[in-house]
Amino acid sequence: MSQATSEAARTPQPVLGLYDRPMWESIRERAMKLQCCTECGGFQYPPAPVCVHCLSPKLEWRVLSGRATIVSWVVFHKSYLGAYPAPYNVIAVRLAEGPVMVSNLEPPLPDGDLGGSWIGKSVRLTYSTMPDELVLPRFTIDDGEPKQT
Amino acid sequence: MSEKEIKRPSSNLRRAAAVVGVGHTDWIGDWKRVRAGEKPTDSYGYGALALREALADVGLTRADIDGLIVGPTTAYERMSEVLGINPRWGDQADAVLSVAQAVMAIEAGLAETIALVYGNDQRSAEIQYGGPQAMGGDAFLSYVYHSPWGLTSQGALYALTFRAYCHERGFDPLDLGLVAVAQRGWSSMNPNAVMRKRITLDEYREARYICEPLRLYDYCMINDGGVALIVTTAERAKKLRKPPVYIEALGRRDLNRGATSLEPRLTDFYLSAQQDCARQAYDMAGFGPRDMDLFQVYDSFSVHVPLALEGYGYCEVGDVGRFLREEGIGPGGKLPTNTSGGHLSETYMQGWAHQIECVRQLRGECGERQVPDCRHAHYTSDVAGKAVSIIYSR
Repeated sequence: MSQATSEAARTPQPVLGLYDRPMWESIRERAMKLQCCTECGGFQYPPAPVCVHCLSPKLEWRVLSGRATIVSWVVFHKSYLGAYPAPYNVIAVRLAEGPVMVSNLEPPLPDGDLGGSWIGKSVRLTYSTMPDELVLPRFTIDDGEPKQT
Repeated sequence: MSEKEIKRPSSNLRRAAAVVGVGHTDWIGDWKRVRAGEKPTDSYGYGALALREALADVGLTRADIDGLIVGPTTAYERMSEVLGINPRWGDQADAVLSVAQAVMAIEAGLAETIALVYGNDQRSAEIQYGGPQAMGGDAFLSYVYHSPWGLTSQGALYALTFRAYCHERGFDPLDLGLVAVAQRGWSSMNPNAVMRKRITLDEYREARYICEPLRLYDYCMINDGGVALIVTTAERAKKLRKPPVYIEALGRRDLNRGATSLEPRLTDFYLSAQQDCARQAYDMAGFGPRDMDLFQVYDSFSVHVPLALEGYGYCEVGDVGRFLREEGIGPGGKLPTNTSGGHLSETYMQGWAHQIECVRQLRGECGERQVPDCRHAHYTSDVAGKAVSIIYSR
């Protein structure tokens, strides 16, 4: 990370519990993985020591398909964080694998200002490199075309 | 749930204990002093001043207190030391759980007269509810987990909830303004309320967004202050100065599965927790929403109110927009709700001042905003998916 990056603009750092670290490593490699239970087949987010669906400790990391659907979205009009000057959006998506995840929608944005809703729109996982080099999983509207990343 | 399903009272906690004294600090004066750059006192000081008022209200002294439960913003030992009390039952809990725990300790004989004391210097101490040091992150992972994506502040979590809720249930976002307008209607008649100027629906709609779809008037204020309650046995309560306000029933259901990913907030809107909590509380009381004279909802954001009206059976699920428009929760409305003005307009005491309002309404002490012949009051909070209810009766 560059010394020139001001503290104010630093991306808020991820919570890094023991089980979060492999996920963030996979994000840095642009192939985000989540834990999948080998007994019940359930995926979970955020990562945890055991399967939150069946309590099994038998978890393996699997790369996500990248497909998801928007569940909700907001637009911040107040700035709380140096790295996020308002206005900016936050979305919640349901991953094809099951869990709900919070992220941002990258442009081009759908028309939301005339009462149009983002809810239900298909999105696809992408990766953004922040000015301080943190890689974030984000989403773009899925127009059905195969994407090269 | 329908009224027909309510069972007979079953718990020995029912009417085992009563609130006999209430007190609070000078919210309006401290609001002005803090905004003028003064620091009236700290969280312990606010708690101590509130306890003095509560003791004076009931006519007891510290020597009568053998239990102490303090709010989450102060350390139990230090508050106990400042108050000069050596309790035989003591703990730290939020507003609704401190009342529940006091009832359980009293019924079990572990204490007779318990002081519940809350003090918070959140405004003068510049406590951050959004941003990298967001309050509560140690207890609720969801408050900090999504900060790399810029999701911070509890208001934003409710904005996400509300957007999905409107989509799912067909609620018109503009109807949310009816909550803020109604509560200002109530606070305009409350001499203790910090925000007393009535607002119109147009003023609500013209106010700026904080986190869209939520606007300025959907958010609670942040101010300094303290609240204290004295709870004792039903038997002792009858001999004291003020009419006892009994804790008639309690209920609780927590939705913790999926809490960090926000799933219960975004897909269930806490409905299943509220319905379970309601069933337990109404069964213990032996009556339900139709018999309630007053509804008090923890309202850090206005969104809590429509969710609670549906979840606790005051209207049908999906019908709360019509309920707010046609039946009403403000002065003159069908269901008086947050009659002090609540967190949006009276004072942000994290649910503690709502207990005082229940007590004063049931005593008949509320002057211009008094609910006529108020017999039963229902308080509920659903902070981070923990749905907890108390029913108070005179």
